[in-house]
Amino acid sequence: MTEMLRLEGLVKRFDDLEVLKGIDLTVQKGETIVLLGASGSGKSTLLRCVNFMEVPSGGRVHLMGEPVGRDGRGAAISYSERDLVPIRARVGMVFQHFNLFPHMTVLQNVMEGPRTVLGLPRSECEARARKYLDKVGLGWKADAWPSHLSGGQQQRVAIARALAMEPEIMLFDEATSALDPELVGEVLDTIKELADEGMTLLIVTHELGFAYTVADRVLFLSAGRILEEGRPEEVLLAPREEQTQSFLRGHGRFRLPETPAQEQA
Amino acid sequence: MDYAWDFSAIVQYRGLLLVGLLNTFKLAAVCLVLGLAFGLPVGLMRYARSPWLNWPATAFVEVFRNTPVLVQIMWFFFAFPIISPFDINAFTAAALGLTLNTVAFSSEIYRAGIQSIAKGQWEAGKALGMTGKQQLTRVILPQALRRMIPAFMNRAIELVKMTSLASVIAYGELMHQAKTISTIAFNPIEMYTVVALIFFALIAPPALAVQRYEKSLERRG
Repeated sequence: MTEMLRLEGLVKRFDDLEVLKGIDLTVQKGETIVLLGASGSGKSTLLRCVNFMEVPSGGRVHLMGEPVGRDGRGAAISYSERDLVPIRARVGMVFQHFNLFPHMTVLQNVMEGPRTVLGLPRSECEARARKYLDKVGLGWKADAWPSHLSGGQQQRVAIARALAMEPEIMLFDEATSALDPELVGEVLDTIKELADEGMTLLIVTHELGFAYTVADRVLFLSAGRILEEGRPEEVLLAPREEQTQSFLRGHGRFRLPETPAQEQA
Repeated sequence: MDYAWDFSAIVQYRGLLLVGLLNTFKLAAVCLVLGLAFGLPVGLMRYARSPWLNWPATAFVEVFRNTPVLVQIMWFFFAFPIISPFDINAFTAAALGLTLNTVAFSSEIYRAGIQSIAKGQWEAGKALGMTGKQQLTRVILPQALRRMIPAFMNRAIELVKMTSLASVIAYGELMHQAKTISTIAFNPIEMYTVVALIFFALIAPPALAVQRYEKSLERRG
């Protein structure tokens, strides 16, 4: 097994607010990890520390076996933007609000990373872009503008844009939370396909059924710590912690019955 | 009121007016190009978190926004040569005043335009592995510039009008030439009417074009 990501005592503070209070986590190549937790529990911040959208306040991040940042004075680790830029290129991220570039066509959106960041020749970028657009089933929309696509299609383009960098890890930050319910499925299918192909995934989601299906491990975060961790059937079906149980109860409060109710006479 | 309008002197001195028109163009063009070019770095400095960049830019913008352009032009013509080793002619003094004024106002347009782009756009570029400069030039500016066009056009129109202030330091633009002709030919009524019409003819078409563009932006949402 190859270790892709290791977090050691990861701490993140925003001014006085400590959002992450010491996270330890190791992710192997090909693993799919789902992060659950109430809003404010720190799951998005954790994700954003992995690709250094946020710079950690303490602890250490190891990516692909290499520690990130340089040892500074004492315990402090210094991060220079120059070191972080190439790391971000190797970790893909998909956002809640897609964040496609509205001034570029779908194809140009997907070509942009390989072209500007990797500096690949235009023809190669286009071939790559078409390959990943086909993969998310949107090759036929290559020349469309993002504003002409449905939310689900936009998010699939955003996934293709991240994949075109051929990253080693993909991060999904509530990728379906902004979508109309009927569009959620197509995006989840796309993510599941990546998981089945052996991509290493870290997923923040509120879709418990999806988490159950796709995850190798589920982590439940509370107040900046990993409160509970295990296989999906353990954490989702037989949670040990009171907080996990109440979180899951909150999500499952209203369910459709398994069989249609008899019509009232 | 039976005033007999007589435009014959203006026809006679049309050469002087043409020189004035060209000088007006020259002054406006120089100030617009320099003002927009230096406005971007100043606007970015205003956006910077470091006080070493932010503070001087803010001070500059506030000084030039909060003093009259006429005073700035007079100052560069009369005061600046005394406190500096440079000799300065009327064109340079007017160009300095108007350019710095345009830098100050356009830097605010750049800043507001850049800030109007959603934070997620910077983040998307950053997450792909773009440097800060690439995020700005590939993602942010292409979107922001489109929104800034009406504001820049208004600035350009304002600038063309402000060039007439250079007449007070005897720079031979349209207004100054008109003053000269009216002194020679005793025809201020006709002369300033014609100057007003020339400015209107210069400015009205682009101003209407801007209004149309703004409406089309609104429609597109």
